[in-house]
Amino acid sequence: MSGRDAARLVLVIFGFVVVQETVMLDLRIGGVHPDILVLLPIVAGIIGGPSRGAAIGFGTGLVSDLFLVTPFGLSALVGCLLGFAVGLATIALDRTAWWLAPTAALGGSALYVATYGALGSVLGQPQMLHVALVRIVVVVSVTNAVLAWPAMRIMAWGMTRSSTEGMPTSDIGAGAAR
Amino acid sequence: MPRRSRRPRTTLLLLVLAAITIITLDARGGFHVVTSGVRSVASDAFSPVRSGVNAIVEPIGSFLAGSVHYGAVREQNQKLQAEIAQLRMQQASATDQGEALKQLSALLNLPYLGNLQTVPAEVTDFGSSDFAATVDLDVGRADGVQLDMPVVGAGGLVGKVVAVSHHTATVRLITDGQSAVGTRYGAAPGSLAVLTGTGAGKPLSADLVPSNTPLTPGEVFTTSGLQGALFPPGIPVATVRSAHTGTTASQESVSLQPTADLTHLRYVSVVLWGPSA
Repeated sequence: MSGRDAARLVLVIFGFVVVQETVMLDLRIGGVHPDILVLLPIVAGIIGGPSRGAAIGFGTGLVSDLFLVTPFGLSALVGCLLGFAVGLATIALDRTAWWLAPTAALGGSALYVATYGALGSVLGQPQMLHVALVRIVVVVSVTNAVLAWPAMRIMAWGMTRSSTEGMPTSDIGAGAAR
Repeated sequence: MPRRSRRPRTTLLLLVLAAITIITLDARGGFHVVTSGVRSVASDAFSPVRSGVNAIVEPIGSFLAGSVHYGAVREQNQKLQAEIAQLRMQQASATDQGEALKQLSALLNLPYLGNLQTVPAEVTDFGSSDFAATVDLDVGRADGVQLDMPVVGAGGLVGKVVAVSHHTATVRLITDGQSAVGTRYGAAPGSLAVLTGTGAGKPLSADLVPSNTPLTPGEVFTTSGLQGALFPPGIPVATVRSAHTGTTASQESVSLQPTADLTHLRYVSVVLWGPSA
């Protein structure tokens, strides 16, 4: 990956963090705010495959942990698992299909929230399973499913020339937006 | 038969190991200083970005909300105008600033703090995570705030500082599941109990209260102030809502209501006090 490609990716992640920490924190639906940082490993997994999904999930998770009081590294752990899982699950599918990104965002976000709560509980934070977990799952999953297409486009721009399995990221991003 | 590359699995394994290492180091204490410092730097660096974006986004959001709810806004506007006229006729002086001043005045005269120094703070946000009960304050290291300092409201203990940057601080509320407060109750010198949070908006529960202890609703639990305790002694924490002992239980099951109104926090005081003080 060249310096320019890395800069693009950093810019995308920074943009998502800014939107999350400003707009999304003020937007509460049923007392829960959306978490668009979860979208990054999902769309990265679809576009770049398991390795890149896991790497971007780890990176964005660490950034996310900077703004949370939950155990440092927990978001990175769940993020890399999610990016890998989405990449692996979608590797054999037509990644230009319009339904893939919203479906992956819906299922992936639900999996992320549930795993995050469960692992947090295992790591000595039992209250993480006693919050309104179902409500968080619904809000985060649905908002991420709605935002999946624009996120795919943005991430495809950020991951130019870094797709795996020989498919140009521009094709995937453009296909998703059709 | 083609063989599937093992590279993705190796990448995942390395990343998982890295994440687990970070979590373990952070939990074991030594590395926590590093993560806390990094969080503080990130918060300092991000603060102006957040303020700038909010300044741009909020008017747009208000405009859009106004457009979507035009009918309701118009009706509300008429109601408000009528209300303003009525208020003028009655020469009422109740304003938001007046209310804020009242809250701040109450914070300046907290009888249970004695001579302890405090820093008044405004609550700016209700936590970044859906998984923790926290609030953000508009004071930080520049105001003398440090990690683990107690935070109180007009009614009593609110929580303690768990993250601090140059100009902001994050407070873990006593209702958070990770919160545990050593307290005393009953006639002096009082018995000891630990109050633990069960989640935002939920009552506290008490640990170490022997079975069949006579507790009446409204009885106040205050911070114990034992040597090495995280809070100074005598701060009201919660009042008893209900108490009962099961037939085979070795402890009494006690449900308590925080004395500070944690759902309507606006102004609080950070007590400039540490366990070594």
